[in-house]
This record gives sequence, C-alpha cells and structure tokens, in this order.
Amino acid sequence: MIRRILFSVAFAVLALAQGTSAHHNMTALFDFNDRVTLNGTLTKVDWRNPHAYLTLDVKNTGGAMESWSAEGPSPTWFRIRDVGKADFESSIGKSLTVELSRARDHSLSGLIRTITLPNGRVVSACPQNC
Amino acid sequence: MKMANRIAIAFAVVLVCLPGVAYRAAAQELAAEAKDKEAAEARKKRNALQFENNATTIVFYDRTGKRTGSLGERTLYGETVLSPDGSRVAVVKNDLDGETADLFILDVKTGASTRLTTSARTEFVMGPVWSPDSSRIAYVTILKGQEGIYIRPANGQGTAEKIYSNPGAFLNLSDWSADGKFLTFAFSDMQGGTLYTLAVDGGPDRKAVEVFHTDLRVFAPKFSPDGRFLSYIMIDKANKAEVFVRPSTPTTTNEPWQVSDGTVSPAFWRRDGKELYYLARDQAVMVAEVNTSPSFSFQKPKVLFKQASAVPDRLTNVSADGERFLALPPARGPQLQQITIFDRKGEVLQKVGDPGLYGGPAFSPDGTRLLVSKTDQQKAQADLWIIELASGKAMQLTKDSYPKVSPMWSRDGKYIYYTSFRAGDLPIYRRLSDGSGDEEFVFKWTPGAFVGVTDISPDGKYLVCDGGGIILTVPLTGDPATRKEIEYLREEFTDTTGRLSPDGRFMMFRSDEEKPERGEVYVRTFDPSTGKAGEGKWKVSKDGVMAMLHWRADGKEVFFRGQNLESNELLVMAADVTTGPTFTASTPKVLFKLPGPLGGNLGNISPDGQRFVFAVNVPAAGTK
Repeated sequence: MIRRILFSVAFAVLALAQGTSAHHNMTALFDFNDRVTLNGTLTKVDWRNPHAYLTLDVKNTGGAMESWSAEGPSPTWFRIRDVGKADFESSIGKSLTVELSRARDHSLSGLIRTITLPNGRVVSACPQNC
Repeated sequence: MKMANRIAIAFAVVLVCLPGVAYRAAAQELAAEAKDKEAAEARKKRNALQFENNATTIVFYDRTGKRTGSLGERTLYGETVLSPDGSRVAVVKNDLDGETADLFILDVKTGASTRLTTSARTEFVMGPVWSPDSSRIAYVTILKGQEGIYIRPANGQGTAEKIYSNPGAFLNLSDWSADGKFLTFAFSDMQGGTLYTLAVDGGPDRKAVEVFHTDLRVFAPKFSPDGRFLSYIMIDKANKAEVFVRPSTPTTTNEPWQVSDGTVSPAFWRRDGKELYYLARDQAVMVAEVNTSPSFSFQKPKVLFKQASAVPDRLTNVSADGERFLALPPARGPQLQQITIFDRKGEVLQKVGDPGLYGGPAFSPDGTRLLVSKTDQQKAQADLWIIELASGKAMQLTKDSYPKVSPMWSRDGKYIYYTSFRAGDLPIYRRLSDGSGDEEFVFKWTPGAFVGVTDISPDGKYLVCDGGGIILTVPLTGDPATRKEIEYLREEFTDTTGRLSPDGRFMMFRSDEEKPERGEVYVRTFDPSTGKAGEGKWKVSKDGVMAMLHWRADGKEVFFRGQNLESNELLVMAADVTTGPTFTASTPKVLFKLPGPLGGNLGNISPDGQRFVFAVNVPAAGTK
C-alpha cells in the first residue's frame, strides 16, 4: 500500500501497479475473461516464491480425470492474510474449490482468483491475481 | 518373534513416543504463534514509522499559485477530488495496519469528515468521482475478490449500488459526465489500453462501451462539459505521457488532438469547457484555452503558475471553476539529497556536488567514481550518472524516460547493469561506464516480471538477481535473447539481495525465514560450476537487517544496514568473517549511526571498507 502512496501522480500509480503488484504481469499469461470453477481433490502443494502452486485432480465433463495446475500469490501474501502452508498441506486428499482465470495457451492451468478450503473458508486472491 | 510380542513392542513404542510427538507438535504450534506475534508487532512498528514519514495534509492553491488554506487531518491520503459545487472533498485514506484504503468526505468549510466505506483487510477503494450535482459518489472497490464500480450517496446515508463488475482489476474510473448519464474509465495492461463509457442508469446487465483501444497505455479519461469529447493520458513506447482529446463515442473519423508537450498528471476541464489544466513535466501548472464546438480546438498551453520550491507540492485536483487547486505537500517538507561520504566512525569525509534529487549512490570497484541516480525536475526524468570523486566531474550515462532500477557496476568497472521499465516489461540492460557505445540487452525473465541485478560473479560468468522473493543466477553466455535463469534459492521465504564473496564461494543474502517482516543476513555456499547453492548455511545478523549487504574486497569483513523498527536512525553494521576453509562470522557490531530517514536509497561501501556513501536528506527550502 505504501507503494501507492509514494508515487507522485495518480496515473503513475495505475501505470505501475499492474507491473509491480505481482511477480509478473498476469494479463500476459492469463485471460481474466475466461474463467473456470473447479471442484477437485488437492494432490500437491508447492509452497514457494514467487508463486504457490496447487495441483488438483478434477473430473472433466466426460468423466475422465484431469490434473490442473493453479497458480496462486506468494507464500508471504497468504501469510499476511493468516493463511499458512499448513492450511493447504492438511487439505491434500480433500475436496477443494478454486476459481481460475485460464491460461491463454489453453493448458490445464490457471491463475487463482478464489479458493474455498475444505473448512469452508474462502480466500480471495484479488487484486493481485485479477 | 511371535505376532503377540511384535504387537506388544509396537504398542510400547507408541506409548513412549506419543507424548514426545504431542509435545513437539505443541511446541511447534507455540513457536509458530510466537513467530506470528513477533511479525505482527514488527509490522505495527514499521507502519507507525511509515505513517510518521509520509502523513500529510491537503492544501489549496489559487490561480496565482498562492497557498490559500489547508484541509483535513494529517494522514496518508490517496486520491483527493473536489465536488463540483466546491463544498466537499472526496478523499481516499490509506490505513497501513488494516491494509485498507477507504473513502471519506471532508467538508471544506468545517473540516468535518464523513466515512463512506469500510473495506475488509487487504481490500481498498480507489477512483472516486462525483455526480454532477455533488450528491453521489461513484468509486471502484474489491469486495470478496470481485472488483466493481459502486455508487452511493455522498452524505454517508443509504447503501451502495453495484453498477458494474470488472473481470480483472485496477480499473481506472476517472469521471462522471456533466449530464449525469455516463461514467468513464480506462483499463491498461501489457496488451495496451482501452477507454470506456458506462451508462449510469442501465440495469444490472449494462455493458461498458469501448470508445478507443490502442496498444499503448491510457489513463484518466475525463468528459468535456458538453460530453462530446474525452481528454485522457496516453503513455507512449518511450514512457512519455501526453494529454490527448478525442470524441467520447467510438469513431474512426476523428484523429485525436495532442494538447500537451509532456504531462505528469491527468487533465481537468473547467465547467464552461473553455480551459483545460494539467501539470507539465517541470511541475508547472499549465492551462490551455479550448473550444468544443463545432469541433475540438485549442490554443498552445501556457504556464498558469509554478511553485517556487525545488520540491513542489503534488497537485491532485482542480475545482470545476478553475479557481482552486488541491495539492499534497511532502510529508517532511521539501527535501533534496546531498551525496555524502562517511568514514568508519560516521564522520563526514566528503560532500559530493550540490544537493539534488539523488538516489542509490555506489562506489566503482576501484573506489574512484560514484554511480548515482539523479532526477531532472525539468523533465521529470531520472537517469544514471557517473561522478569522478577527485574532480567532482559528472557524466550523464543514460538519457531516456524509462524508469531505471537496481543499477550495478560490473566487477571490472567497465559496465553498468540496470533494469529498465518498458511498457510493462522489465528487461536488464548494460552500457559502458565511460558513456561510449550503445545500450546492450542482457536478460529478460518471465513477461512483465521484475528482475533486478544485485551482483555479478567475480569471474564475470553470472548475474545474481532478485526476482519475486527468489534469488536467481543468470549465466552470461550465449545469445542474450535465449539466456535462462537458474534458481539459486527458491523457497517459501522471501530471499533477496544476493551478494557473492570476493572468492566467489559464498553468497550473502537477506531472508525473512526466521523473522517475517524483518529479515536477517544469511550466507550459503555458491557453486560456480552450476550457479546453484551447495551445502552449508550460516546466519550472520541477529537483530534484523534493512539492506546494503556488502563484502569487503579482501573477504574478511561484511557490512549491512541494521533495522530499527522504532526510529529512522540508520545503523551501519559490520562483522568479521572468514571464507577459508569454511565460513565463519563474528557477532555483528554497530560501526556508526546516522539520523534518517533515507527512504529508498540504500547506501554503499567502498571496496576497502573504509568509506560509506549515502544520499542524505537536506531541506530544499530556498533552492530552486
């Protein structure tokens, strides 16, 4: 937030915000208008900078199992919001719901907008991931 | 062994181990709680200091540039927007502890404050605009992860109505048309920028109308009072911003009109549509006489007024009658920086040149020159300069409008490496430190990802870089366009500022592993054959580290800036170290203290560890 305060003009804030609020410019790799909500089983957590990654097994419409990769904000981002590595690791093997902005290359991957943990807690990754 | 015996032994083992396991789990939980508590306390102290260093009030200027009054408590203001009737100011106040920014209305006569929004933690309000009758406010906020435009009464009564959902974020809402029927906003990203209008009364399925799309970034569209035109800011490929005007409806028949010759602010229309104001690069308030009928036309902009200070107040808004100008003064008064060199006791050895807007001074490897970032207020442009310490002679190294960060000398002093912000991308370039030759592209990471050089290996084979809390090494071989980074250190902690020992065997860095919100200095091994970390890890500091990690050229001492969360005092720390056969470090001691704050400029140390250079704040009063 202090970053927003320090820049000298209003449009400079907006010019730079999208370049500096995250590790990379999200719109380069993900399409915010192409969203998907997945309900699947969490199989893997990669809890490292610059982005945490979740892997989910999700049944597609044909009934076949697909492995999706969901990119989240950094571990520090989650920690500031009182969500820790343990919250995700304890969810491995359990059902998780994530809303993703899909990758522009149409791979089975996306950028996390919201996560609903098995205990019902909803974590929004916006504005960083929007 | 009989099965019964096995079961009995297993049962006994479980009985013996269970209390231990439970104890360890409880201990881990308590340790995690203590760590969280310590981090929260550190964050609170840091926020209090940031508030003290940045809080300010709102001031008014008249058309002659005379300061006529002030408004509001001393706090961290974001946007400030005068109501069309001039009686109130909509302000966004930043709350560091709550990690929010909320909307308030200040009465200009009484100073009374009315709170309009209360955001959840990490959510915030931006872009307030007034309805033409000054009765309502439209603004952008994120609620439960969804950004949208909301409208609510400006008197604090009633509820907010959501009128638009944005699939992305950082929508730039900037005006409400004089007939009350439309809002206008912009959205820009790496793909370019788009101007939109949105009907205020349109039902829940209202769609934004795309007025104009470009591969450049556009911001701050504002309606002419008759609603026929939009002024807006467009930033070109060279990162220069200009005021343009174009029709407010989608059309390909009219070319846009470029009104400005450089701007650092949005444009503001007078309510009669006869004048347009903006802030020039040299901070002068400019006025252009304009006409919107039968088509748009304008006269060459003139200087309306210019503040006398070398560090002027930041203009934020203009009244609808063009008589009052809102501004935010620098929190600690106007300040410049004096490049100053200190000895190991903190005594001044040399003041280099005159005060100016300086940052990031760094000694050349031979200690005879300084690399500095210097901002030219006339051009609103920061460039890299090289200053010879013996003669004081200064040479401008870069001459472009791209923001440049993380400048770094090569080990032989021949090159300067730096990251350059270019239309949303942040590639690394280098150029010869004698000013000759052209800029050379060195490396680009993921599209739009920040990567900053923190060191170059002694053998010149690797860049060491910061990027998103991880430390990268980049082999400087092959085609720069195809260079690939190596993850030297990538973990859940935020690791930054990798600095290699003079023998190239160890990497010193800052990590928040033990103290979130603070960080300590650590050292790990570096394998020059792979660019990766080897075995071994040592902690050097114990009371927090701010920045400025350095090795002495003989590899026998390290330096860093300590961290004092409760004051601006600057602590220069040093520790004796050995790097052979393995790494050892003595307990760090304070070499000297300086009054702060120094803001973002990090300071630097001569290779022999005898001289320390900082850009020290000095009052700018009386200077131009």
